[in-house]
Formats: sequence, structure tokens, C-alpha cells
Amino acid sequence: MSKYSTEELSAMVEPTRYHRKLFVDEDIFDLEMERIYGRAWIYIGHESQVKNPGDYVTTRIGVKNPVVMVRDGNGKDIHVLHNRCGHKGATVVNRECGNVTRFRCNFHGWTFRTDGKLVGTPHATGYQDCGFDRNNPQYNMPGVSRQGEYRGFIFASLSEEGPELETFLGEVKSSFDNMVERSPEGRLELVGKGFRYVKNSNWKAFMDNLDDAMHPMVTHQSVGEACEDYLREMGEVSDPKLKKIVEILNPFISSYEFFDEMGVTTCAYGNGWTGGEASIHSEYDEIPGYRKLLVEAYGEEKARRILSVNRHNTIVYPCMTLKGAIQNIRVVRPVSVNKSIIESYSFRPVGAPEELLQRNILYSNLVNSPASLVGNDDAEMYERLQLGLQDEAGDWMDTHRYLNRDKEVKPGVFTAPGTSDLSFRNMYKAWKEYMMQEAA
Amino acid sequence: MTSVVTSLPELKEIEDFLYLEASYLDRADLDNWLDLYTEDCTYWMPLDEDQDDPLNHASIMYENRDLMEIRKRNLKNQWAPSKHYKVRSTHIISNIRIQDRCEVSGDCTVTSQFLALMRYKTNHLFGGAYRHELKRVDDSYRIRYKRVTLVDCDAPLETIIMYL
Ligand SMILES: [Fe+2]
Repeated sequence: MSKYSTEELSAMVEPTRYHRKLFVDEDIFDLEMERIYGRAWIYIGHESQVKNPGDYVTTRIGVKNPVVMVRDGNGKDIHVLHNRCGHKGATVVNRECGNVTRFRCNFHGWTFRTDGKLVGTPHATGYQDCGFDRNNPQYNMPGVSRQGEYRGFIFASLSEEGPELETFLGEVKSSFDNMVERSPEGRLELVGKGFRYVKNSNWKAFMDNLDDAMHPMVTHQSVGEACEDYLREMGEVSDPKLKKIVEILNPFISSYEFFDEMGVTTCAYGNGWTGGEASIHSEYDEIPGYRKLLVEAYGEEKARRILSVNRHNTIVYPCMTLKGAIQNIRVVRPVSVNKSIIESYSFRPVGAPEELLQRNILYSNLVNSPASLVGNDDAEMYERLQLGLQDEAGDWMDTHRYLNRDKEVKPGVFTAPGTSDLSFRNMYKAWKEYMMQEAA
Repeated sequence: MTSVVTSLPELKEIEDFLYLEASYLDRADLDNWLDLYTEDCTYWMPLDEDQDDPLNHASIMYENRDLMEIRKRNLKNQWAPSKHYKVRSTHIISNIRIQDRCEVSGDCTVTSQFLALMRYKTNHLFGGAYRHELKRVDDSYRIRYKRVTLVDCDAPLETIIMYL
């Protein structure tokens, strides 16, 4: 029995505010893992991580579900399996990545095919005439309830029910499309290792922040000022390396008007994005030769369209965000009510000039690293939320900005000025929808 | 004209220089610290233990003088929320070895191991390997390149607020 009734949970999200308990109450966190992370489409990995038969990577869904994504021995299929031995229940795969012919549990030596089917139990005579049936699926490493793929990105859901992946992604498919099409070959490859930044805050602090266009000019004011101070001392900036740094850091302190102009868009299931043609990424210098490669690949008109989409953060609720213009994704792995790990991965747009990837890497180092001047201040503000929200002196977090200014541009798709709280309202509407459904 | 084995006086001099650098870091004194670096310096904290490419693969920090100057100014900016707390640390450097030294210029490459206990809101323990490329300047050195390979460079990491 849940500590909170659906009525109580429902009362914690109102049209223009949500309750502090969502950030500090452990029971609510446990319920979220069950009802949100246990149901929604959760990002697992990218196909380029498991190119060859037997390649695998491990991760987890929510807190309690270790999984392994593996390329089948046949070289074609990709499986997402619960990382659990069908024998006594130990995790079977314990490296972050690797390659296998079969998975072998190190406890009692049971072996499994790459599709999870049990194939070997040592000293099998002990299982004769005792009613043991090795073909009973309970002994396999079971596949997740549902898995899906969109343009090379693999998702899994622990629930049999719910929308198909493409229905769930809906309009945000276009953000994935743009990211993939930034490669002249329409192909992305994950680059090596990613950051894993431990933030001492609830997972929703990160999600809320993504399309919160009222914070950069305040939270990141110091970064812009530090740049400006230095540039003033330097006089004119001719060094191309410094130009690239400034080009990335300075837009963080763009004006309120700039962020309003950039706009915010939301759609179903809590998803959406900020920015459009304009964003903090739209004024980057053109990489020599890049446009030409895109024109050759896609034609003039489509190449122009691809390069004109410069969205800021696209939200795939509850677990990830992507930036098409710089081929980066970040994934939230909740740890506890006040701890989360934010993973950040850069992708190589195959066929594009190396300089493009190098700028993406520079961006990531500057913004997503645990030592980032930008990210450190976000992490600090999330932590302050955790501190302040414990206090019962006030119960609510406010989301009034630009209420009633939304425009429905397509059925279920809304836009508003960029500094609107529309994205917050949209995510907490989804939160409520997930949380109101009790276990089946 | 390089030699791996060096005499004791040179080693002592280099040790003193590394200790001086560490003392500035201990006090988060980036003004004096940055003065120890050359104009064309690189400070690199890779994300992967054996990483050899800083351009096509993410790094915890990969900074040139410009970025270090910006970071230094950011540290003092009153509007940086993450910088509202005192940062203090104690660096212990050991296993100092001169890997390479040019007899003509006096430039050398030095490796060492370090442990740093850093107070930033709570205590954080960092450890790993240093690699310094030192340029001989008058009777001292300047740092042209420093690589800091953390033992847990590719593990989940909390905020790293200060150079190590
Ligand atoms: Fe931010």
C-alpha cells in the first residue's frame, strides 16, 4: 500500500505550482521509480555502442533495475535484458561494456545466449528427474517488457502498457532527426566515455532546469562576466581558440528578450524543447566546408533547413535531453531522493569535418564536465533547492510565468515565449498522469 | 642531449618548485598559481586514464591560458553561486621522478603522485598522477604542460571546484 493515495498525489500538482515534497520525500521518490521510471520509455544506449555481435553495455532503469544492452550473436538484433541470473538472481554482467559469445554467471556458472535464453547449467546430472525444466523462461535473463529504437537510440520500458516509442516521442522526434541529419551520412557514433556528474539533488531539479530560460543570466552571470572581464583586458580577440570559447560561454548571459524570442514548445508525455531557429547555439561560427558537405548529401533546400534548426534543450521526459546542434545528449540516472547522476555523451556526426566534433567536445568540457564553470553553478542551485525545500515554512514551487500565453500550434503542441513556465507545467502534468495510475 | 638520471641538486630544486605550486593550490591562490605557467600552457585533466586525444574526446578539464584566466576571474566573481564557499586543500606530492631532461635548456618532464584533501562544503579526497613539463626560466621553472590523471577520472564525480 502506498503511503500516498492518488488523491493526495494529485493534490501535489496544481496548474501553477507543485509541492515541495516532490523533491524531498523518500516515499514519493520510491513511487516515482515505480510509476514513472517503471513505465516510461527510458533511454538505454546508442546502437554505435554495440556494433559487433556480442558487444554489450550495462546501465540501469530507475534505481532497482540493472539491465544490459547487447548485440545478438546474429549481428542484427539488439536486446535489452534484465541483468539478472535466472538461477539465484545475481547480476550476470558486471563490466560497463565488453564483448561476449555467451553471458556466464560467475556464481554457479549458468550460461545465457545473447538473447537471454539459458543454455548451460554445469554438472547437469543434478537436475535429472527432479522436475527442473531448463526451458522454463523463468530461468532466462529476461528481456525488458518493451524495447524500441528511434534513429539509433535504444529505449526500454518496464511496462507492457503505454504508448509505442514513436507515439511517445511525438514531436521531439524532429530533434533526433535534426541531430542525425547533421551528419552528412545520417549516422552518429558515440565518442568514447561520457561524463558522469554526481549532483546532490533530486532528478527533477535537472529536468526542470533544462528549459528554464529565466535562470542562465542569473545563475551563470559570473561566467559571462569573467569572459567579458578577460576580453576587456585582452583588447581585440583574434585568437580563434579564444573566439570558440567565448562563442560558447557568452550566450549563457543573453538577455531575457533573447530567451523569450527563442520560444518554448511542449507536446505530450512531458516532452518539449526550447529554442528554434535561434538559441544559445545559433550564432556559432560556420565550420569551413561543412555546409558544402550537407548540400552534397541532402541538396540545397534540405541542408539549409537542417542548419536552421538550433534548438536549445529537447526534453524526453523523464530521463534525457538532447542538443541536435551540437550532437550531445544527457541522461538522468536517479540515485535517491536527493542524489542523481547526470551522464553526458558526445556523438561524432559521421562524415562531417573533425572540427565540428571538436567544437562539440569543447562545449561539453565547458558546460557538462564535473569541473564545468557553467555546470557547477547549476549543481549548486539544485543543491540549494534540496536544502530550502526541507523547510515546511512554505510548501510550493511556483510555475505562473506566462500562464495563458500558450498557443496551440498543432493538436497537443503548444508554444510560448521562451521564459514561460510552460515546460514546467507540461512536465508536472505528465508527472501527475504517471503518478495517478496505481499499480496494475 | 637528454638524460633520465639526474643528480640530487636538480631533483631537490624541482621538488621545491612542485611544492610551491601545491602551496598556491592549497590556498586557492590562482593569481600566484597562474604566474607559474607559461603563456602557451596547457592544463589537462583527462576523462580516461589512458586518454591521448584531448580534442576528439571529452576531458574533465582541457584548458589553455585563456580558459585558465577566465576561470580565475570567475572564481572571484561574487555572482558565482558555487563559489560562495571557502575552498582549502592540502596537497601531498610524492614519488617525484624526472623522466626527461635537456642538459642544454634545463627543460624537463617530471612525474609524481599526489593526494589532495579538499574542503569544499564537505571534504573531498582526490588522488592520482601528475605529469609536469617544465620550462627552465632563469633560476626557476615555468609550467608549460600539466596533466592530472585522477585515479577515478572515469567514475561518477561530484563538483570539482578547483584545479588540482
Ligand atoms: Fe544552467
